[in-house]
Amino acid sequence: MTQPPHFVIVGNSVAGIEAAIALRKRDAAARITVISSEHPHPFARTSLMYVFCGQLSLKDTQFYPEDLYDRLRFVRVVGRVRSIDPARRTLHLTGGQTIAYDTLLLAVGSTAKRLPWPGLYDETPMFVHHFVTLEDMRGLDAAARPGMSVAVIGGGLVGIEVAEVLHLRGLRTHFLVREPAYFPIALDSAESEVVAAHIRQHGVDCRTNASVTAYRKEGGRVSLVGTSGPLDRPVDRPLELSVDLVVGAIGVTPATSWLAGSGIAVSPDTGGIETLPNLESTTAPGVFAAGDCAQVTWIDGSRRPEQLWYTARDQGRVAAAAMLGDDVNYRRGTWYNSAKFFDVEYTTAGFIPYSAGSAALESASPGSTSGGTSGCGGWQTWYQHVPGGPVTQRIVVRDGAVKGFNALGSRWDHQVWKRWIAERRPLGWVLAHMNEARFDEELVAPFRILPTATLVDGA
Amino acid sequence: MQSGLMTTYQNPTQNRNGLAWGLSALLMAFYVDLYFTDHLDTVASALHLPSKWTFYGLIYTLAMCIGGWFMLRKHGNSAYHRWRTISLVAVQSVLGFLLPLVLDFLGRPSYYFSYFFPLKYDILFPGTLKDMPVAVACWFVFGSLVGVPTLVYFQGKRAYCSWICGCGGLAETFGDPWRHLSDRSDRAWRIEQVSIYTVLALVLVMLGLVVGDAYAADGSAIRDLAGHTKSFYGFAIGSVFSGVLGTGLYPLMGSRFWCRFGCPMAAILGLIQKFGQFRITVKKDMCISCGNCSAYCEMGIDVRAYAMAGTDIRRASCVGCGLCAHVCPRGVLKLETRAALGPHGKIEVWTLDL
Ligand SMILES: Cc1cc2nc3c(=O)[nH]c(=O)nc-3n(C[C@H](O)[C@H](O)[C@H](O)COP(=O)(O)OP(=O)(O)OC[C@H]3O[C@@H](n4cnc5c(N)ncnc54)[C@H](O)[C@@H]3O)c2cc1C
Ligand code: SF4
Ligand code: SF4
Ligand code: SF4
Repeated sequence: MTQPPHFVIVGNSVAGIEAAIALRKRDAAARITVISSEHPHPFARTSLMYVFCGQLSLKDTQFYPEDLYDRLRFVRVVGRVRSIDPARRTLHLTGGQTIAYDTLLLAVGSTAKRLPWPGLYDETPMFVHHFVTLEDMRGLDAAARPGMSVAVIGGGLVGIEVAEVLHLRGLRTHFLVREPAYFPIALDSAESEVVAAHIRQHGVDCRTNASVTAYRKEGGRVSLVGTSGPLDRPVDRPLELSVDLVVGAIGVTPATSWLAGSGIAVSPDTGGIETLPNLESTTAPGVFAAGDCAQVTWIDGSRRPEQLWYTARDQGRVAAAAMLGDDVNYRRGTWYNSAKFFDVEYTTAGFIPYSAGSAALESASPGSTSGGTSGCGGWQTWYQHVPGGPVTQRIVVRDGAVKGFNALGSRWDHQVWKRWIAERRPLGWVLAHMNEARFDEELVAPFRILPTATLVDGA
Repeated sequence: MQSGLMTTYQNPTQNRNGLAWGLSALLMAFYVDLYFTDHLDTVASALHLPSKWTFYGLIYTLAMCIGGWFMLRKHGNSAYHRWRTISLVAVQSVLGFLLPLVLDFLGRPSYYFSYFFPLKYDILFPGTLKDMPVAVACWFVFGSLVGVPTLVYFQGKRAYCSWICGCGGLAETFGDPWRHLSDRSDRAWRIEQVSIYTVLALVLVMLGLVVGDAYAADGSAIRDLAGHTKSFYGFAIGSVFSGVLGTGLYPLMGSRFWCRFGCPMAAILGLIQKFGQFRITVKKDMCISCGNCSAYCEMGIDVRAYAMAGTDIRRASCVGCGLCAHVCPRGVLKLETRAALGPHGKIEVWTLDL
């Protein structure tokens, strides 16, 4: 009698556990082993901020029933994988245990990018923290006490969440953004300003154009040294910021350093595992990758990991099908995402150019084509700011058809927007139908076009 | 005391700890005192109130006003919660307290016009109806059999349970800090299905017996049975379940213990809701599995499981409080009433028992 195949999954977060469930659905007999070092049960990393502040317990964030492993007969291994031998199809764990696999899924996710200041991580006592793993969260939880002051470095989505909960706990919170505007990758300068004003209104010191380059220890505190001004014209100056704690939130990096020398190819630029379109590793047969740690092809053709919850889930499912021998091809559909900046909800779908950062950068370099009315390739931008709150809508149009949506402060069904983009709807039609995509709670005033709305060339 | 949503678990009274147990014991003691002793009558007469029930009404209304104020502070940034809280507090203050008080003062029989059968289980008893002015009797018969069911068919159970009902009103205001303590396990769901339909069956049997009794000859066996059933229901369900436990367990079992496990009205309205026009629409593929919706569902519904599966929610027990939609940081959920119903089925993981 032949043994059923042994599927081993490293990482029990969303990519790993979705793959495990998908495998079990298709193969009742397979042996499925899930290895993780972080927590015995999958929890939502996306709610770390809510656990930190006390809106949720860690158990609340467990997104499958407690008995999932029993019900689906997954073998749970709590431990850290130290190395892999793809030729012998064997994993080595830190405790000395070895586990053999027939097919392996690496869903090891990511860890925080470290701040690049020499000597920083050798300091005692440690004053720098991150906010990606449970361990990070617990470390910060133990260190952060009301009345302290803290610098959160990095103007992204995790940074703003950390700033919010630290501020709520009663720490004097400085939110340092290197770019000229908050979250320029997705917001334009007007939207960024709306968010930044909202952050400041909450009492958080939000500083843009603030690039920290070094630090000095002074007594028990840390002085931050940096530059100010646009990135291409930085001005050296002391930041005049002395804090008790520093939180580095400058992004994440795939947790793949332990693969070095294993023969599994990892991108030197991003650290992501190089994969084929079916998410199988390019260099090790029978080894697949999914979630934050996998290189995937973006819509612009570039290869890098896509560090999102929903894509990790999709990749886990696709990888499971591939592990079972299906002919699959992972493709990210039309881009969409959502986030929350303190109280301001944000929804986006489609193509939204990297405008704020680039526009601001380009405004510094004469002869730039973006931003103004210089008619850049048929692009147009419709925008309005609803007075009385942090509520904005932006629609990007190319050659008459809508390409992308950005909305702050109100709720929208991104699926409807995606459909309109696919149907190449013209702006006028979309504006007339906007309320069909509305997803706000009942009794909220409907969308309407304000006299102050603008339509300008360029994106 | 911290009162914000974000610091819920930091507040000792919201944490099922010793303090919460103490608070629960205190609430239960109050209800035992109210239902089973005359002690509060002396308090009432000292306050020149007609009876202990008026005194209770006063405390109840005050608790709702204060709780409602905190509720507005926490969730008043949403129009839905603003209006719903105002409606609940207004209905209780006017129909549940002031009007009966005025009627009483005028020496007229007083009625609580916002409560219907089967929540107010004796309102359709022939003996009760016979003593009412015809218009009042019509109000209660029509409201119980036609008015509320029709409203619920079109608007969902929330129209009654989260906008009008005084019991629900207390849960939504005074009880709001404990909504996250409702048990979310499948086991609780199974218990709920048994217990709530049992109470419904009991209330219907009781009504049948009492009606039968009205037509029965003197000395027939049905009279005894009807009498025993009434006193059992009044004691076990009316006083102990809905009062002592229903409110007493707020700090331990969440604010809707009675609404979820006991209320016969919830059982009927839930069935109507299931076939009615209300549902919670799920925005596909936007859920980040964070768990806020499930945690803050006072009916212990695992909302997240539906959101993750992209399945619209049509659950009999949902009282349409709207908190799941409100606390969702990604705007995934929307309470809606629509004739065109989306696909709704079982959730994937539960069909996974292989
Ligand atoms: C604070 C925060 C907020 C976020 N919010 C959002 C959001 O709102 N929306 C969104 O789309 N995305 C969000 N993300 C990103 C999202 O959480 C990730 O994209 C997602 O968790 C990736 O899932 P994954 O399964 O690939 O890996 P991860 O969630 O990173 O999990 C990897 C797992 O593998 C385990 N592991 C790693 N190495 C080993 C090893 N050697 N041996 C054993 N086990 C190992 C880890 O312990 C971990 O449990 C957020 C991330 C953070 C940190
Ligand atoms: S479930 Fe019953 S007690 Fe609760 S609000 Fe609804 S009708 Fe009122
Ligand atoms: S499902 Fe949502 S609306 Fe219904 S009871 Fe639960 S929290 Fe309230
Ligand atoms: S609150 Fe929203 S995002 Fe979080 S689990 Fe529920 S539906 Fe998903």
